[in-house]
Amino acid sequence: MPANIYIVDDDESVCRALKTLLMTYDFEVKTFNSAQAFFDSVSNNEPGCLLLDIHMPGIDGWETQRRILDSGSKRHVIFISAEKKDDATARAIKVGAVGFLQKPVNGQSLVDLINLASKN
Amino acid sequence: MKKKIIVRLPKKIKKPLLKKATRLNLEETIRQQSDELISRSGQLKQGAVREKQGAAREKLGADREKLGADREKLGADREKIAEEQILIQTKAMESASDGIFIIDARRHNFLIIYANLSFQTITGYTKKEIIGQNYFLIYGPAADLRVIDEIKQTISRGESFHGEMLNFRKNGDKFWSLLRIAPVRDKKGNITHYVGIQTDTTLMKQRNFEIEEQREELLHVTRVGKLAEFVSSLAHEISQPLTAILSYAQAAQRMLKDREPQVQEILGYIVNDDQRAAEVIRRLRYLLKKTKPAFELLDINIIINDTVSLIMPQILAKGKIIKFELEKNLPLVNGDRIQLQQVILNLISNSLEAMEVDPGSHELIIRTTRKDNNTVMVQVKDTGCGIPEENMKKLFTHFFTSKPDGLGMGLSISRSIVEAHGGHLEAVNNPDRGATFYFSLPINMQNES
Repeated sequence: MPANIYIVDDDESVCRALKTLLMTYDFEVKTFNSAQAFFDSVSNNEPGCLLLDIHMPGIDGWETQRRILDSGSKRHVIFISAEKKDDATARAIKVGAVGFLQKPVNGQSLVDLINLASKN
Repeated sequence: MKKKIIVRLPKKIKKPLLKKATRLNLEETIRQQSDELISRSGQLKQGAVREKQGAAREKLGADREKLGADREKLGADREKIAEEQILIQTKAMESASDGIFIIDARRHNFLIIYANLSFQTITGYTKKEIIGQNYFLIYGPAADLRVIDEIKQTISRGESFHGEMLNFRKNGDKFWSLLRIAPVRDKKGNITHYVGIQTDTTLMKQRNFEIEEQREELLHVTRVGKLAEFVSSLAHEISQPLTAILSYAQAAQRMLKDREPQVQEILGYIVNDDQRAAEVIRRLRYLLKKTKPAFELLDINIIINDTVSLIMPQILAKGKIIKFELEKNLPLVNGDRIQLQQVILNLISNSLEAMEVDPGSHELIIRTTRKDNNTVMVQVKDTGCGIPEENMKKLFTHFFTSKPDGLGMGLSISRSIVEAHGGHLEAVNNPDRGATFYFSLPINMQNES
């Protein structure tokens, strides 16, 4: 049973490309250009791993993760961002995410992390 | 003066008692006696007048004498006042912190006939060495001959010289001298002397140099900051398509698994080059990584004063006025001095540019206040063109600018600096004219007791 993947990134091209890549791994992928659009169409208890961009207008990645945690949802979240601060991975794990990947994301590393998340 | 007196005896005693001759004699005698009497009384009167006149003369004499004495006293007083004045003037000249000297203009070799104490201090020569010396020899052999020549020519024409030049003290030390020499003329208009004032501007020059250096340093930091921020934004924007390209290429690689070896090879190159580009950006970002801000306890009013002194020449050059309304005894804030200076500098230069178009607007106000228990507020209020409503939202975003040669980084960097300090930077249009930019900074609580 292939896992659901949600991608939230304000860059449409990134969404489309990651979706194309992940579909070759047989994932079910849905993309959203903002966290608000994601919250509006996917309820917190619907299963699926979330690939979450950090720097976005409106609700940013960190805030999105906080809201997910606050709702009591156990959704697996992987942060992806072009900018990598020294403590990005540590901070991601600290706020309950599976991990952090810097853009451009290597396909295999991404899939490995998704698989790791769904095993846990 | 003497009246002829007619004497007539009464007829009664004339006839019976006296003979005509006797009567006549008597009449004559009386007349003579009366005459004598009258003349004596006249003499008596004249004596009184003379006496009066004498007294008046005496008084006049005394008065004259008194006047003379007064005049003498006045003369003495005047002399005394003049002496005092000369004394005060000499003392004042001796006490002046500028070097003052007088040159005899009637001789050809510019002999110094007076030099005050400061002149001796500045040049390092004693009074003995200066008086009677050629003024221009005091400059030292290394002084610029062209300037000396220009001074000589200017004052010889009877004009005043005003200029700055490098001089040398007795011990050979260089010093900058701001020099003013003016001719002194007698009643006929002939130049008799030259009077000169020279100010040692070495320290002032040094201070200006330091200010200039600080400004350069700040500009450099600002430029590096702008560049870092610029590169960071650029890197972010380029990373997005690189992410997409890599994902597309890797997706295609998987789709073509074991097929189309030539296309596979090409996709491999795309992936490699994409990762190479990503690596370049990563390295660039690393190079321009912002050094950690150096936080220390700061008095925001001092920061403002320091910053304004850096930009003061520009403010004056543009004919604008800057007003300070700084609240006294503000609590200290925890911050990075250079970064906060950068924010204030940015807000002031924006305001100056907003006021540049309109010569009628020239007032800029910097205000600090204690906003509440935990915050101080800094406001930069201008009387410029204000901010069009449609620009308000974009004001603090990267690359947004209303200036033809702007980068659109100043306000966005300023906001990120203020936010890194735990504060907020906002803007609002004033009800009358211009705009106000204001930012808050949290007060250092450990310091506040």
